Amino acid sequence: MLPHLDAAYNLARWLTRDDHDARDVVQEAALRAFRFLDGLRGEPRPWLLALVRNSCMTWLKANRPAELGGIDGLPAELLPVEETTPETLALRAVDRRMLNEALAALPTFFREALILRELEDLSYKDIARITDTPIGTVMSRLARARRLLGESLRAIQKASAPQVHG
Amino acid sequence: MTNEEASAMMHAYVDGELEPSKCVELEAHLAANPAARAACERLRGMAAAIREEADYHLAPASLAAGVLGAVPDAPARTMKAPIWRLLPGTGVAMAAAAFLTWTIATGYLKPGESERITQDVLGSHVRATLGQHLIDVASSDQHTVKPWLSARLSYSPPVIDLSAQGFELLGARLDYVGGQPAAVLVYQRRRHVIDAYVRPARNPAAALALTRDGFNIQSFAHDGMEFWLISDLNRNELDDLVRLLEQHPS
Repeated sequence: MLPHLDAAYNLARWLTRDDHDARDVVQEAALRAFRFLDGLRGEPRPWLLALVRNSCMTWLKANRPAELGGIDGLPAELLPVEETTPETLALRAVDRRMLNEALAALPTFFREALILRELEDLSYKDIARITDTPIGTVMSRLARARRLLGESLRAIQKASAPQVHG
Repeated sequence: MTNEEASAMMHAYVDGELEPSKCVELEAHLAANPAARAACERLRGMAAAIREEADYHLAPASLAAGVLGAVPDAPARTMKAPIWRLLPGTGVAMAAAAFLTWTIATGYLKPGESERITQDVLGSHVRATLGQHLIDVASSDQHTVKPWLSARLSYSPPVIDLSAQGFELLGARLDYVGGQPAAVLVYQRRRHVIDAYVRPARNPAAALALTRDGFNIQSFAHDGMEFWLISDLNRNELDDLVRLLEQHPS
């Protein structure tokens, strides 16, 4: 097994949401990794993931530009956790398929933040480096992503709940 | 602290990124506010749900082959790297050059950069996880693992089952670290394998925490034994394991 190849593929797969596209992107990123080997500073996994992320963004821009829009109007500050609304309630009851669908449906930058944080266990600093954004933006994206995910799971649960007649 | 201030800090807190002084403040706020505590628990629940339920897409085998096929030949300078010692014999010679390039590219090993034991632990862990020879005795039962190790070593390492705390004991193996045999307890948390190297503490060094080539390494001495933990698990959870091991008498 090649070191970090799973991480590279997992990120590309979640960003492109397609096996074939993810393979292309990782191949391309791997070649760039060898070409820019001298640019390796610090830890290799964030460095490699930054290259993969970059390839993904280039690919999305060329093939599905709509997926990179829609983030400009979002507030940069941290969104507070609503203490009264149960948007993240009953998450444990959500099945695996629903969670994966809801994650896949998140806007690209929010999905990316959650995948890097929760599936790759990366620090804010590493995520900031990989996504080429300030740490404050990483924090606000994570907060917003969790809120959106909670809302969308709640909607899915509502939609799939059996209708009560009476 | 106001509720707004607490909310703003909560994500960083749950992510283990809040500075210690703020943690103390926030924890005091949480202790006094059930609603804030519940919000915090919901955030933790969501993080755990994603970690446990979201698909982790493993690279298909054909992708590895494709990447290896596409990379240029290894530059001559890499031939000197001790990574050669990691390659198990002749069977893999074909892919060796390309593998080597990739390995150097992703910085798996940086020769001469660290002291012997860190290198040994890192090398052993990588070898074990690459070669899939993780375990000599596969058992989650500490009463099976401990006698197996004791019979093969001149000491009896502590074997602690921590599956109730989320660290599943997969088994153990023997390895050679820092010029002496060592017991390696193999734990798993989610998809992360954690190797814990245990040997008698001779000159107890200060506890050490470092990150090397993407792996977190942590060492500490406890009850006359020296522990070296290595994993790609995040630092916070590796700390949890250190604390759990320290709580148990040898």
